[in-house]
Amino acid sequence: MLLEFELNGRQTRVEAEPTQRTLDLLRDVLGLTGTKEGCGRGECGACTILLDGKPVNSCLLYAAKLQGRRVTTIEGLAAADSAADSASGRGAEGNPPALHPLQEAFLSEGAVQCGFCTPGMILSAKSLLDQNPDPDVREIEEALSGNLCRCTGYGKIVKAVQKAAAAAQAAAAQTAELGPGRRAASEKSGNGAAVRSTKAKSAGNAKSDRRQRGASR
Amino acid sequence: MSAENFRVIGRGVARVDGVELVTGRAKFAGDLRFPGMLYAAARRAGIPAGKIRGIDGSAALALPGVRAVLTAGDIPGPNIIGILPPFDQPLLAAGEVRYEGESLALVVAESREAAKRAAAAIRVDIDSWEPILDVDEALADGCRKIHPDGNITFSKRLVKGDVEKGFSEAEVVVENTYYTSFQEHAYLEPETVVAVPGGDGRVTVYASCQSPFHIRGHIAANLDLPASRVKVIQAYTGGSFGGKDDVAAEIGCLAAVAALRVQAAVMIVHDRGESIFGSNLRHAARIHYRTGSRKDGTILAREARIYLDGGAYASESPFVTMKALIHAGGPYHVPNVRVECTAVYTNKTYCGAFRGFGVPQVTFASESQIDELAAELNMDPLELRRKNALRAGEANATGQVFDRSVGLVQTIDRVAERRDQLPPAAAEGSSANGGRWLYGRGCACLLQGISNGAEGIDVAGASVQASQDGSVLVGVGLTDMGQGSRTVFAQIAAEVLGVTMDRVTVRQVDTDSVHDSGPTVASRSTTVGGMAVYKAAREVRSSLVKMASLMLKCDEERVLLQDNFAVLAPRADNPEARIPLQEVATAAYWTGFPLMNLAFSRAPDARFDHETHQGKIYIAYNFGTHLMDVRIDRLTGAVEVLRHLAAHDLGKAINPLGVEGQVEGGALMGFGMAHLERIEHEGGCIQNANFADYAVPSIKDRLPTETIIVEDPNPTGPYGAKGVGEPPVAGTAAAFANAVAAATGIRFTRLPIRREDLLAALQGRDRGPAEETG
Amino acid sequence: MTAVQYLRAENLAQALAQAAAAAGERMKFLAGGTDLCVQIAEGALDPTLLIDISAAEELRRIEHGAEGLRIGAALPIADLLEAARAAAAGKRTESAGIPRCLLQGAAAIGSPQIRQLGTIGGNVCNASPCGDTLAPLIVLAAGFTLSSARGSRVVPAEEFFLGPKATVLEPGEILESILIPASHLSGRSAFRMIGKRNGQAISQVNVAVWVKLEQSGGTVSGGGSAAGGAPGAAEGTPAAGNSIEDIRIAAGSVAPIPLRLGRAEERLRGSVPDEAALQAAAKAVQEEIRPISDVRTSRAYRRGVAASLFMDVMAEVLEREGG
Repeated sequence: MLLEFELNGRQTRVEAEPTQRTLDLLRDVLGLTGTKEGCGRGECGACTILLDGKPVNSCLLYAAKLQGRRVTTIEGLAAADSAADSASGRGAEGNPPALHPLQEAFLSEGAVQCGFCTPGMILSAKSLLDQNPDPDVREIEEALSGNLCRCTGYGKIVKAVQKAAAAAQAAAAQTAELGPGRRAASEKSGNGAAVRSTKAKSAGNAKSDRRQRGASR
Repeated sequence: MSAENFRVIGRGVARVDGVELVTGRAKFAGDLRFPGMLYAAARRAGIPAGKIRGIDGSAALALPGVRAVLTAGDIPGPNIIGILPPFDQPLLAAGEVRYEGESLALVVAESREAAKRAAAAIRVDIDSWEPILDVDEALADGCRKIHPDGNITFSKRLVKGDVEKGFSEAEVVVENTYYTSFQEHAYLEPETVVAVPGGDGRVTVYASCQSPFHIRGHIAANLDLPASRVKVIQAYTGGSFGGKDDVAAEIGCLAAVAALRVQAAVMIVHDRGESIFGSNLRHAARIHYRTGSRKDGTILAREARIYLDGGAYASESPFVTMKALIHAGGPYHVPNVRVECTAVYTNKTYCGAFRGFGVPQVTFASESQIDELAAELNMDPLELRRKNALRAGEANATGQVFDRSVGLVQTIDRVAERRDQLPPAAAEGSSANGGRWLYGRGCACLLQGISNGAEGIDVAGASVQASQDGSVLVGVGLTDMGQGSRTVFAQIAAEVLGVTMDRVTVRQVDTDSVHDSGPTVASRSTTVGGMAVYKAAREVRSSLVKMASLMLKCDEERVLLQDNFAVLAPRADNPEARIPLQEVATAAYWTGFPLMNLAFSRAPDARFDHETHQGKIYIAYNFGTHLMDVRIDRLTGAVEVLRHLAAHDLGKAINPLGVEGQVEGGALMGFGMAHLERIEHEGGCIQNANFADYAVPSIKDRLPTETIIVEDPNPTGPYGAKGVGEPPVAGTAAAFANAVAAATGIRFTRLPIRREDLLAALQGRDRGPAEETG
Repeated sequence: MTAVQYLRAENLAQALAQAAAAAGERMKFLAGGTDLCVQIAEGALDPTLLIDISAAEELRRIEHGAEGLRIGAALPIADLLEAARAAAAGKRTESAGIPRCLLQGAAAIGSPQIRQLGTIGGNVCNASPCGDTLAPLIVLAAGFTLSSARGSRVVPAEEFFLGPKATVLEPGEILESILIPASHLSGRSAFRMIGKRNGQAISQVNVAVWVKLEQSGGTVSGGGSAAGGAPGAAEGTPAAGNSIEDIRIAAGSVAPIPLRLGRAEERLRGSVPDEAALQAAAKAVQEEIRPISDVRTSRAYRRGVAASLFMDVMAEVLEREGG
């Protein structure tokens, strides 16, 4: 079938089998190898892409479902977010200027080791920050709970998301001063009180508060 | 160079290869594309033991898109891989099946799906045998021999002093048997290689790997080619942790055989299932241990009998056996130590290198013993450890004495200090919150040898090249698989040559370019690899300094290289003068000073008695102390780690940000080993070869690890550095077990201690004996 | 993959017509595909035709009417959760009153990525005993509307499941919508699960409960979050000593199907849920479930933890201390 969809900001037309995995369409047909296969079963999140801004496992997404949708892969991260071009500070130590604040934060916080989980992790984090610019630790954990990492132990990943959130907030405050039209439009989703964690343990909030207090670096 | 003047050493810098990773531009092996590339997939036995009667690939060959079906007879060379004697593992089995993942044939096809479909269509005729499933069965008289020489893979002893005498003098003895389970590496990137035949008679293999030179050697042997015709390039590697040490050689060989056969590039990518059951695991261990001390806590004797279930093939069992042997005694000055360690074959997925390499297993046993001893003596567990802790000038379990870089007591002190700063945990075993939670604190001390040690020669090669523009290209034979070694190498080169980090590039590992550097294992990349970079950089520096001294008209000793300048420090008789390094480099080239150096670093050889393992074995040890506070939900067995301190003496933290990453990541892996992860076998077949049922920690399971860096410089490492990649695994697992024991009052002798184990033990205790547990 | 034909249905009628026209095919309706894709990739399922219903708008509605709350089967889990969040923020009244146990169960499914594609109908029709919306739907007395070209029928949730991955669905029949009756939108409900780890965990056991407490005078209208009850629902903060007028308990991953625990319910129906009564009921839960040992955990753990989860859900619906 002929698929027409927006890919990383560009209208794309490609012929594909309807039941081809989007992961393979991206990697083998469209040459975008930034999205990775870790398990092929939707259990690790390495294949995460954004579909209309929300994270999905591309290994479980049949290509037919892309019709008329908006797809973002790691390659399109900076382009996907116009705020990335705004006045947020550029990375130190010689980073090229096209990095999204999340990418910069992952680098500066040491949240990248082997890098295989990183594209999926960053996209899940981007989706979170687009909807919830000021997430608490529990919300960050929930948003990234579908992305496994075996190298970092996750601590610096959480810090990187917090840093990117703070940087984006600072940039938004700056652009707010500059005038309308560049405000981040995402609706804050509140403190998530409506949906509690269903873990058997009863002290989810206390745990995340403890982490926030205990975080030393 | 004094520490206060370091420009980049000791700084937490961002990875030099980070940008390509966060943008998705980095090419992992599976991202590479070559014109006409084909895909290969193995047909695996699917049963754990048997005699192969026949393999018929004709149905597979007839399927659309299939180019070739290869079996053992298609391997030009000996069809053998293995790190060490007995070299007992075939690439493609022809005689016997020894484990469920045994590869019997390889299909080469136009797509991965076609290859897998065809692999399934291969007809195999196997007389299945009753699999041998545990160590006792394998060692029993009359048991079927899995290998011609019997079911013992390797067995060695460590003997220091006289344990019988030691125990006879001991006033208190504790004794117990401990068990650890098989653990899976679970790197996010499955094993992947691409073999590309060149038009020049060479074959290039891009591999997700940690030991490119091993791969080259195996490919050359199995293709019956000179090694100089084989080139291995390490692609960006999505984690390895020891798992891609030998498996990459296996599929590297298979892909190369296929590529030369069909004269096209061939890619092999494992799916997650075969990554788990078809490649090596961490050895499961049974450790019988006893420790004897005086009433004042002085440990007089330690004796351990270790059995390692190593699965179907030897892989790295001999080395794991030796390392377990050497570390079982713990980081203590014990005059009498006797350890016997035996690795055994069974018909299960073979075991090999996995971060820690035997040390996590024995540390769990050893540190459980120390806590049990502390309880008997009514001593504080950390103080008992401090009393017996190795100090500089004291002999360890192999009788090796280090007069420097034995920072164990410092790590104990730093942990105790930090612990005292923090609010107190609830009293152990207490039932705050209406009895729902049990609180406990545990600690552990450990040591981990750095460098290849008893495993053989430890050499690394590095190249440093300065261009006329003053930028620097570094090549090393050791691999970055996420642990950040590339960045450390760049820091060393930058520091020595006085350039800023952005002027340094560390190239991909390429076996053509540097001396055979062996495997990237044993936490050796910073220490041994770093030394090679340091040496090469010093040579290039020498040329730049000579040139600069001519340009600045001064003695060479007065030239400093820093911040991309050659600087003549100011003195009474002259103001500061500086020349951009770019000018110095250009002038050096045109004057004829060499600007590239290929260096070879060799760690001091191990020299020891192979019967008693007494002697000099490692060039240095990393020492650590961990402390963990947990609370356990007595109604569900769920565990929450409230606090985790991990202090390590690593000599010198060249990149503190990288060190934290290694400690945090290694800690979570140790936590997985101790609490969440267990490979489940049934009849020799793994039942949970997927990420749903093998519980790798998610972000919601992470630890609040706080890294405490202790630096007791190591004279054999660059800037005094020692490695830290592996030690946190052992420390975390052992501390967790002790914390759980403190919280519950129950000593768990089997890892992992899962939620269900906790609930069963707590309910069993609360209810009294004889309750149904089926 | 074998060559599987793919059809996209723009609406329910078209989907049913396509299904009827494909009587000879091995056909599966495709919504999010998060379970289906895996089973097809592993060869556990080998359909020749997939009818994609994810575009059928009428299968994604949430409608609050006199009969109760009707949820379209093809509603993605994430959309269900988002609707509840929007309702809590006062933005969408038709989404108000999604019972808490259903939201808790839905939030426990998989991961954010899975919840984005996966649908509530998919979770139901996949019929894995550990499905996290199944026990909640049973305790909410949900009715499943099953439709085909031949017509529609309604099957109560607790009669829908026949065994692991087996349901009463006939060939060509689709789960169209799920109705939670008005009678069960009032009351209080809760859900708990436990898995091997904290994140992205498959349920080793899950438990759901719905209770209707007897009203005594002067209770303050509670509600807390909108997830707890429809606006204006008569349920308030339980006063100590109120007896349980009605209760439904169900558990997943403790039997081949999600299990309604009628005998345990009898222990509490009509009685005051004091500590002794709850403990007795927890014991009854343990006795009524039929767990096995499998790769996920042991029978003993399932029995042990089921009681704990039961006490936790009861503590939540009764707003008691600890549990």
